[in-house]
Amino acid sequence: MDDLFGMEAARGWESDEQFGSIVIRRLGPGFWLAAAWIVFIVTAAALAPWLPIADPNETGVGGRMEAPGWSNWFGTDNNGRDMFARTIWGARVSLVVGFMSILLGIFVGGTLGMISGYFRGMVDRVISFVVFVLLAYPGLVLALLIVGLAGQTLPIVATTLGILAIAPIARLSRATTLAYAEREFVAASRVLGATDQRIMVHELLPNVLIPMGALTLLGMAITIVAEGGLAFLGLSVEEGFSWGKMIVLGSAPRTLREGPWVAMFPIGAMFVTVLSLNYAGDRLREYFDVREIGIGQS
Amino acid sequence: MAGSGTAQLRESDKMVLRVENLVMEFPAGIHQVVHAVSDISFDVQRGETLGIVGESGCGKSTTARAIVQLPKPTSGTVLLDPGTDAEIELTAKEGEELRAIRPRIQMIFQDPISSLNPRRRVRDIVAEGLSIWREEYPDVDVEAQVDEVLTAVGLDPEVAASRRPHQFSGGQCQRISIARALALNPEILICDEPVSALDVSVQAQIINILEEMKERYGLTLIFISHDLSVVRNVSDRVVVMYLGKVCEVGDSNTLFSEPAHPYTRVLLASAPEPSAVVDESESAIGDELPSPMDPPSGCRFRTRCPRTTGLCASEEPVMAKVGLDHFVACHFPGSP
Amino acid sequence: MCAKSGLGKADMAAPLLSVSNLHVGFATEKGLVRAVDGVSFDLTEGQTLGIVGESGSGKSVTAKTLMNLLPSYARVGGSITFDGRDVRAMATEGERHFWGVEMTMVFQDPMTSLNPVKRIGEQIAESLRVHLKRTRSEAKDEAGDLLQQVGVPEPRKRLRQYPHELSGGLRQRVVIAMSLACSPRLLIADEPTTALDVTVQKHILDLLDELREERGMTMILITHDLGVVRGRADQIMVMYAGRTMEQADTATLFSQMRHPYTEALLETIPRIDMASHTRLIPIPGMPPELVDVPDGCLFSQRCRSCSDSCLTDQPPLEVCGPMHVCACHTPVGTEAGAAARAANREAGVTPAGLDMGTFTAVEESA
Repeated sequence: MDDLFGMEAARGWESDEQFGSIVIRRLGPGFWLAAAWIVFIVTAAALAPWLPIADPNETGVGGRMEAPGWSNWFGTDNNGRDMFARTIWGARVSLVVGFMSILLGIFVGGTLGMISGYFRGMVDRVISFVVFVLLAYPGLVLALLIVGLAGQTLPIVATTLGILAIAPIARLSRATTLAYAEREFVAASRVLGATDQRIMVHELLPNVLIPMGALTLLGMAITIVAEGGLAFLGLSVEEGFSWGKMIVLGSAPRTLREGPWVAMFPIGAMFVTVLSLNYAGDRLREYFDVREIGIGQS
Repeated sequence: MAGSGTAQLRESDKMVLRVENLVMEFPAGIHQVVHAVSDISFDVQRGETLGIVGESGCGKSTTARAIVQLPKPTSGTVLLDPGTDAEIELTAKEGEELRAIRPRIQMIFQDPISSLNPRRRVRDIVAEGLSIWREEYPDVDVEAQVDEVLTAVGLDPEVAASRRPHQFSGGQCQRISIARALALNPEILICDEPVSALDVSVQAQIINILEEMKERYGLTLIFISHDLSVVRNVSDRVVVMYLGKVCEVGDSNTLFSEPAHPYTRVLLASAPEPSAVVDESESAIGDELPSPMDPPSGCRFRTRCPRTTGLCASEEPVMAKVGLDHFVACHFPGSP
Repeated sequence: MCAKSGLGKADMAAPLLSVSNLHVGFATEKGLVRAVDGVSFDLTEGQTLGIVGESGSGKSVTAKTLMNLLPSYARVGGSITFDGRDVRAMATEGERHFWGVEMTMVFQDPMTSLNPVKRIGEQIAESLRVHLKRTRSEAKDEAGDLLQQVGVPEPRKRLRQYPHELSGGLRQRVVIAMSLACSPRLLIADEPTTALDVTVQKHILDLLDELREERGMTMILITHDLGVVRGRADQIMVMYAGRTMEQADTATLFSQMRHPYTEALLETIPRIDMASHTRLIPIPGMPPELVDVPDGCLFSQRCRSCSDSCLTDQPPLEVCGPMHVCACHTPVGTEAGAAARAANREAGVTPAGLDMGTFTAVEESA
């Protein structure tokens, strides 16, 4: 007699947004927006030489310090170079440095963390010690040291930032590995006769890789900003230019007064990119976390 | 009890496993040691089910892990095929040699969810053993073998094999675990609390499957549980443990109908529906389990035992025969 | 569907707690989960009701609904009356001195109720100070007395300890002391001993029983184990998939059980005095998902006595004896039940498609 659970009521309840649902397993429109921006900026940067845009190094494309307009969308800088072209070309260095460094960080840090978390004991103590030292050592000083000694080329700048990323990534990877190494499926695999190597690759890696994947995006956001920081100290790549270097050039007091757009556009590009990377990374992490919770719930 | 001694070991070439004077200690802080398992011995006959029963902290799971050398015990020996020409001392094997013996002893665990890798498909999980030993079993049709064991545990390979563990209930996950263990055709299957995490209506399914598999694949089972009724039901022989020691060993029906160790009697009297062979008042003991880092001298059960005397504190009881295939480590065994 | 069980209605005194047609649903992305689907019961003051069921049976959700502990996205229907007061109305009005005072709960894992960074004494004293406005020193004295009452050795020393310094059994005693602080009239114990060792389990259950008797408390004891409630509850309600399957006073339930699920539960669990290798009668399959609940009886897919009507009509909860209700078309011990089982055995398969062979092999060997 009570139709509280009748189909009518059930349908009504499900559409009732106020109560929400227990599990939201969707990435949401925000994620897709962020992803679209990332795809756009990456594609534009990759295809920069073939795009119908001005030569970023050619001076006098427009007048000096021309405000944004129809001929030069983002205006020009004090050498009369097209800021739109420069922002897209600048993305190349920023993104490559950001991506290469986080890749290095994840590869080395992730591996060290997994080894440390899986084998425990002496190996763990040694690796953990190195990680602690890396964490305690001021990152900026390390970067100054490496770039100062080895030179300001793109691979070296990327490597430097990558080294800085190793320690925090190693810690995360170790913690994730520890959590999974305790699980009984790892014991089961050993009982079946699997070698350590096989357990790490077949059982642990797929589980550690998921949180790591989300971290790639978050980490890239950090390294892009870090590259900007290095540029500010004049330690970024010598050849070519990145968003960071463009911001430095644009933030000279006189330039800033006469043409704020020179700094504004690279700042804006960096901001939107970092925001998108952070947001997408965060959503991905949550998405996969929820999947984990879903286990066992039939 | 809780004593040492090896009187309960049987002289026979039918034994498939013998655990002798097994000790497992873990470091805990500075100069502290957890005495998880202290000098226990038992053996398992081919085709029999040995039940190990005791409360949390008694060392039953540690014992199970020690048999498969995960980790290696602190001291003592674990022998496969003891007393025969094929005798293998597991505790003396390392690395590749140990790995080569592993398929002979398989294990299933308590937590059906944690036992299966959430990122792998059921087919890969069940085939894992065969794919590790692919070179040793070149003739085995992996696909067919996986289908066979999945069917044996009551799952439809067509439906199950391509799914991931989170699409299954606890009972089904436990079936998958059993299938994974069986795929390598083991001789011994160690079941560590295999039904404790399952709903009561599913427990009997898993127990019945284990019994069927035992028959079908000629397995020897070591069944570990805190649940006396379940242990009695599945076991031929039972070992009762307390705080890292063995209290009582014997034929399942004998041990449960004539419990001789005070601790066994307490367990039987404490069950939600107490056994008729003991008086319910026998369940009145202290709640506090002594620390395994500083176990009591002499008999480890003496701090909670109703029969304790000075002798129990000064001298550790040794395993003694009290009946046909019934051994107990107590200075004052029998009914009160 | 039959709304009211009628159980306890004959009693002279008005029941302390009266639950009527309780529904609890959770909206999930798979659909509406019907965690509790029309549960009714009355509980007379001073009595113990045992609620028995597996995970997903709705027993814990029922308890949480009583305790106003459901998450905000839960949908609740039906009425709950405690001593003439509307409990659900109190929840919406934000009544603070009802839960934890007149109605309290003990959970399975004592650590969920204990704050790990606070001393035991403070935690017990807190509810005394909040609800009963005791001063700090009064509350501390009372906390000591309470620990003594629940059989905690050296209660004064324990007051200064932290939860992690106690064993599981002692922690559960502390939780019981906390829940008793304001002299509740109804205590709900949700699997209070499941996380404990068997030797400790009995002591905790005995303690709850003693306290109930001493204080004239009413109690709801929730468990998955029929054995736990057998000697301790006055009435037992068996739940399955959110519905009441059978409810009766304890003696009747065990001597004249009517529902095939109750029977199956008893037969599937090994008993301690059963000889080794006694074949257990399994309950095939698994509990149903509570989303898109099918028509008919929810146990029909796993039931030996399933008849055609079980698949289409949900059996109403009907009185089948004094103080005894059961929701089944083919109850055990009736002609209809025997006929349905005989017909299934004849056909070798139940109308739900369950192979009777799984049962007969075991029944014959027994």
